[in-house]
Amino acid sequence: MREDYLAVLSEFLRKRENIDPARVTPEASLEELKVDSLLLLELLFEFEDRLGVKIPQDIPRPSTVGDLLEIVDKVTAGNGV
Amino acid sequence: MASARRVAVTGLGLVNPFGGDLADFFGRMLRGESAIRLYTREDDVLKPLSVPAVRCANFDADAALGRSLAYTMDRYSQLGTAAALSAWSDAGLPRTREAPRNDWGVSWGTALGGTLTFESGYIEMLRNGRERVPPLSVVLGMSNAAASHISILLGLGASSATYSVACASSAVAIGEALPKIRSGEATLMVVGGSEAPLSYGVVRAWEAMRILALGDEASAVRACRPFSSDRQGLVLGEGAGAMILEDWDHAVRRGARIYAEFAGCGSTSDHEHLVRPNVEGQTRAMRMAIQNGGLAPDEIDYVNAHGTATREGDPIEIAAIRGVFGSRSAEVAVSATKSMHAHMLGATGVIEAIITVMSLASQDAPPTAYLDDVDSECTGVRHITGGSLRSGLRAALSNSFAFGGSNTVLAFRAVH
Repeated sequence: MREDYLAVLSEFLRKRENIDPARVTPEASLEELKVDSLLLLELLFEFEDRLGVKIPQDIPRPSTVGDLLEIVDKVTAGNGV
Repeated sequence: MASARRVAVTGLGLVNPFGGDLADFFGRMLRGESAIRLYTREDDVLKPLSVPAVRCANFDADAALGRSLAYTMDRYSQLGTAAALSAWSDAGLPRTREAPRNDWGVSWGTALGGTLTFESGYIEMLRNGRERVPPLSVVLGMSNAAASHISILLGLGASSATYSVACASSAVAIGEALPKIRSGEATLMVVGGSEAPLSYGVVRAWEAMRILALGDEASAVRACRPFSSDRQGLVLGEGAGAMILEDWDHAVRRGARIYAEFAGCGSTSDHEHLVRPNVEGQTRAMRMAIQNGGLAPDEIDYVNAHGTATREGDPIEIAAIRGVFGSRSAEVAVSATKSMHAHMLGATGVIEAIITVMSLASQDAPPTAYLDDVDSECTGVRHITGGSLRSGLRAALSNSFAFGGSNTVLAFRAVH
């Protein structure tokens, strides 16, 4: 899992929801970070934009920060999700 | 209707171009102060916009709603939700939820909904070459977004409906709430409307109809002159208004301040032409509102006119008013406040309803600004000009007449 993906995520949540970056750890629950289905859409969009990749529509719903970063990792590495 | 419940207006809220509160806004209306300014929008590709318009330039959505909520809304929802929260607080209602509010609802109006969201999507794709638009575009742009946010924030479990009836949208939304409260289906309704129409596409479309008033930096303030012999068309504006309508006994039980009684509503269709209004259709709507409100025409002391300042529309409305009041027309005070707050499309009905309610509550009605020379085709009523009309006002009408031929008239009665 690349550190800079975590940085993208924590920066996004800090700007949008004023969430302390210290709370954004791989173990943290997305729900506890106020990431609902709409915010998750925005996060996926942000990763796609920043990294120039296409995240497939049928990804499993991530429940932790780590789950989400793993999806991004796999997509950028060219592996299926 | 003997057993029907009466409907009280217990809260008023708005987002207005002057940037102040309701009292400040209404005070400026009474003084005949126009908020119309030259609106310019620069762009490095498109020809810049430069038209007289009304903007709520001081509105800070992050401050009013919080940043994360504001981000999930188009500007029309931001304006609308802020107005609704303001009306809610004005009505002395708590944000805490002691009990389910499943018989409280929202009835909202917008003509264009999230037009700015759609425009920015097109700009991204067509000009910036992006292949896609942001993922919240659907929920930002949808026309029921404002009503939905209001319902969610205030926990309103009865119906949440949005009416899109061009320039009559919020008047229709207010009118549709009346039978819900009368019948007991709802105890309280948050009603109103919001509009943020100052996009390139919308302004250019109105320009193409050749009914937008022209003006420059100096003349923009007096660009909209309803009933005036030299009127030259309408001025677009953004804004939002909300009212709390409440079952009368419920309002009395909780000790609420009652601004006025929402007595009746009349809605008709001209069934004739898309843009040319019709005297008979408007007359029927006014008569229906008076009758529906258990009023007599003789009790109506003030009419807040639709009065958009188009060549064709203004004389037709005056003819309709004369048709309703007959020989008493010369005593019926009339003003068109669009001369000051401009035409807020889907929000204009509620802004004018708020002005009408405030006129009854304060026994003081605003003038038509810049009406120095009444057009000979618009005479026969008591035009309020120069300053406000301090007078005994028993009941009043607020007229809203939409493109498409939809007419809605709201009747309010003073509380003494």
